[in-house]
Amino acid sequence: MSVSLPIPVIQALQVVTIVAAAPGVSGVIARAEARLQGRRGPRIFQPYYDLAKLFRKEALAPEGASWFFLAAPLAAFTCYLTVPLLIPVLTSYPLPLGYMGDILGGGFILSLASFCVAVAALETGSPYAQLGASRAKTFAAITEPVVLFVVFTVALLTGTDLPYALAATVRSSAGQIIRPAHLLAAAALFMVILYETGRIPVETHTGTNEFGMIEEARLFEHSGPYFALLKWGSAAKQLILYTIFVNVFVAPWGLAASQQAGAVALAIAALIVKVALLGTVIAVIDNSFAKLRLFKITEFAAAAFLLAVLGVFTLYLGGG
Amino acid sequence: MDPAHAPGVYTGGANVVAVLILLAEFGMLRQALVRDQIRLYAAQAGLISVLAVIVGAVHHLPELYVLAALSAALKVVVIPLVLRRLLREDGPAGPPVDVGDIAGSGGLGLAATVLLAIAVAAFGFFAAGRIPVPGSGAPATALSVSVSVVLVAFVLMIHRRDVISQAIGLFSLENGISLAALVVAASLPLILEVALLFDLLVAVIVFGLLIRIHHGRAESLSTTDLTSLRG
Repeated sequence: MSVSLPIPVIQALQVVTIVAAAPGVSGVIARAEARLQGRRGPRIFQPYYDLAKLFRKEALAPEGASWFFLAAPLAAFTCYLTVPLLIPVLTSYPLPLGYMGDILGGGFILSLASFCVAVAALETGSPYAQLGASRAKTFAAITEPVVLFVVFTVALLTGTDLPYALAATVRSSAGQIIRPAHLLAAAALFMVILYETGRIPVETHTGTNEFGMIEEARLFEHSGPYFALLKWGSAAKQLILYTIFVNVFVAPWGLAASQQAGAVALAIAALIVKVALLGTVIAVIDNSFAKLRLFKITEFAAAAFLLAVLGVFTLYLGGG
Repeated sequence: MDPAHAPGVYTGGANVVAVLILLAEFGMLRQALVRDQIRLYAAQAGLISVLAVIVGAVHHLPELYVLAALSAALKVVVIPLVLRRLLREDGPAGPPVDVGDIAGSGGLGLAATVLLAIAVAAFGFFAAGRIPVPGSGAPATALSVSVSVVLVAFVLMIHRRDVISQAIGLFSLENGISLAALVVAASLPLILEVALLFDLLVAVIVFGLLIRIHHGRAESLSTTDLTSLRG
């Protein structure tokens, strides 16, 4: 089995893996969460059936909404298709398009997606969607400094802020893993991911109509294939963030080091296993903590900021 | 700065423990319940013992094991026990002290406090980073961390208005100093260290009595009531 895949195929496979596996990861988390609560839970493939059902439904738009309302889901989904090109999903060596953007570039594209969804929510005139969009933007502004400081840490650690470089640094020796700067940055990023994916200390993921809703409320007015695209997009965003966390910060092992088809297939399997493990950890967190009150989210962000800032401090002294 | 430079497993590990000690201090700053604050204090003291064992193992200083054991016995077991006993509702003497929520006793909001403490910790970090340490003990970064711990403990004592937080702040300040001692003078004669530990025990008893007396007089744990003594 020594078929060598051309580079563009591997590059495309990164995107396909993320997009195809994303609903499954949501399914795994929902299943694990249900099991921990003593329920049987939905099938792991349930999110795929949901998407298939939504794609068959008719699409409606509120009266008075402009063309952007329907364009936003497509724009957001395109953004989510772009980011997997920039991060190490399958390979340990940088792919050509990986140099298009660094971690900040990926962050910008993710923010652009969330901006499009927020503008579409404002188009609707529905108070719930607008409330969600407004909240999402407010709290995104608070978590932004945390992301910046995590990027600073990465830049100080590697001399660049390419995700491939940090993954290689982490792989290089045990000393790179148990230095405080790396652990603090990873912990801060994990808290940001909990916020960004709408997990429990910030938001209930499974809730329907609730005053504490942030991210989920923005999609209220969308329907049919557009709603499906948004759901799929938010699952893809979740998987992208998990992939960054796992493949760049915590466990950059099991990636393909060559272009062999076997190695790439193994990398896909390894990614799915690692992400499923992370999903299980997140399901445990979901079940062990209560949702924070809306105005306590700043305290959650302050804690993440503390971790990220301490990471930079320890590095700056040369000892981190 | 050399990008690929890593500090090594021992230095990295020791620094991680030091940073965890600082995070425990921040945890005390945020904590809303007395019980959890005492628990965090015990955890912080336990981390210092762990660091002492690590330093002792690497630098072959067997007396550090004794110190770690003594300090763990005193600060992880005895002091939290004494504190809880002093604050228990059916205490040995005097009226019951209500140990519950102390969250509202801060002068500032929580996020603002944390940001202030980050600024203060940064000052400690960079001030101590300039000091050249002829290190025989833990790595030099731990010294910066210990200065930050002391300063954040000050923030805790200044901004909380309840007596218990102030006492815990003082005790955890001593933890910061123990951390500094591990860096600067790891092989300090054991008898000195033990004397320091028993000093701490005296401080705990004195503080416990003060808490109870204050509570007996003012019927609350808040020091704001003391301002009524002003002429």
